[in-house]
Amino acid sequence: MLPRDRRLPLLVTVLAFALPVLFVLVPLAIFLVYSFFGVDQGTIVYTPTLGNYVRFFTDPIFLPVFWNTIVLCVSVAVICILLAYPSAYFLTTLKGRWRYALLMLLLVPLLMSYVIKIYAIRSILGLNGFLNKALVALGILHEPSTLFVFNMNAILLTLSLLLIPFAILPIFLSLERIPQTLLRASDDLGASGLQTFLRITLPLSLPGVASAASFVFVLAIGDFLTPQMVGGISGFTFGRILYSQFGTAYNWPFGAALSVALAIVVICAILIGERFGRNRGTSI
Amino acid sequence: MSALPRPSTIFLAAITTLVAVLLYSPLFVPIVSSFFTVSHGNVDWSSPTLSTYVALAENHDILVALRTTLVVGVCTVILSVVSGTLLALYYHGRRSGRSILQFIIFLPFLMPPIISGLALLIFFREIGLERSLLTVVIGHTVFVLAIVYRTVLMRLQSMSRTLVEASYDLGATGWQTFWRIILPNLSSAMVGGAILAFALSFDETMITILVTGTQSTLPVRLWAMMRLGFSPDINALVALILMFTVLLCVLAARFLIPRQMATERS
Repeated sequence: MLPRDRRLPLLVTVLAFALPVLFVLVPLAIFLVYSFFGVDQGTIVYTPTLGNYVRFFTDPIFLPVFWNTIVLCVSVAVICILLAYPSAYFLTTLKGRWRYALLMLLLVPLLMSYVIKIYAIRSILGLNGFLNKALVALGILHEPSTLFVFNMNAILLTLSLLLIPFAILPIFLSLERIPQTLLRASDDLGASGLQTFLRITLPLSLPGVASAASFVFVLAIGDFLTPQMVGGISGFTFGRILYSQFGTAYNWPFGAALSVALAIVVICAILIGERFGRNRGTSI
Repeated sequence: MSALPRPSTIFLAAITTLVAVLLYSPLFVPIVSSFFTVSHGNVDWSSPTLSTYVALAENHDILVALRTTLVVGVCTVILSVVSGTLLALYYHGRRSGRSILQFIIFLPFLMPPIISGLALLIFFREIGLERSLLTVVIGHTVFVLAIVYRTVLMRLQSMSRTLVEASYDLGATGWQTFWRIILPNLSSAMVGGAILAFALSFDETMITILVTGTQSTLPVRLWAMMRLGFSPDINALVALILMFTVLLCVLAARFLIPRQMATERS
């Protein structure tokens, strides 16, 4: 009995380390190593080189797309926050059950199939879509426009629409954590509603805004499905270039190097979100 | 916050309404189309029909894809709940190596799915594992493991140590304590984690596209169909999936929320 009893925990320990390492760390490590290989006439050359990274930084195609994608995703984050902040604030003004019922209502669309949402949004933005019909009916446009589909605008609008709930939740949580006593004290001391908002509520909710921005940015920049489906030819994002290295371009090592660049941006965004997302001094 | 003047409340309510409309419009379109005929962006409200649902029942491709998705989902749930629970039990109350391993477990969840998917694709090729449903299940499990692990770990941490100590004091062995005390206390967290894992697996697209063989799951099938445009029966499917996911969401909330509130109160 004794030796077996001792061997079992050892086995468990090995498994507890081995499983995550084997299926997560090893694939990512191999992927990283791949980024230092090259390709010659369709076959992978297993000699270490920095060529992929040199190409990424010197080729006139990749850096601009990379930069444009970052700008696009920052814009998505800004749009999401501009819409999510007032909504989250409104939720916190509600009482009891209503507050959480409405919060659920705004989060449920997250559960709906991503692919189908993209498809539906594309049909709304399209030439015969609801958006064009509404703009024509309102007299803003004279005839339906192709401004909203198969270009960068379409990617911006679609991603924003898809990712708003990810901004609402962290902002709501940080607003809810603000002690009511602070707001009452501010009111007692004669501050107006606007002053209380600008001096108390807004600064204390900024950590939530930082987390929200980081969430939305990371999800937007890692997305390939949305730009592929609504971006058309002109809406070329980094995710699409990356994916094409594993399809039409068939250059896995270069694709791996592009992934490393993407991963670095993502990690930076997460760290920034983490750094500014930590709430200081709200738990009085 | 009741001190808000009225115009600002109206403004906030208006924005919130706008957001709700924006969020629900993409869901509304296919659901309306599933009951009414739509041509060139115009809905024919006069003749509601269930023909799309009949057509769906005859769409062999979609039904096969749906079955594949369910099989993958169930396998993913079993694998992730078992390993997630074991990992949580192992790392609960253990300091050495925990933060590093926790970081590794969370990596696939934090990284963009395109990176996790490509890394797995290359990994499977390197170890000579043919792309199949097995690779899809592994991909999904790696992706959802963090959620199950975290759900179970949080329940473990909120569990009172005295329960386990009492069990030992009363002469129970380690296994008896595990089966009679720890596991029953974890069960609702495990069910909640399982539902979340299933929901994530059900909708996972990017990793699946990359690591699947010839069989496709429902999102991948829809993704392939989308280039050509959907047939009307897809709208019926969307309406059904929406109902199903809302049901799952309500179930997950039921299993995860009441217990946490109960532990907070005690």
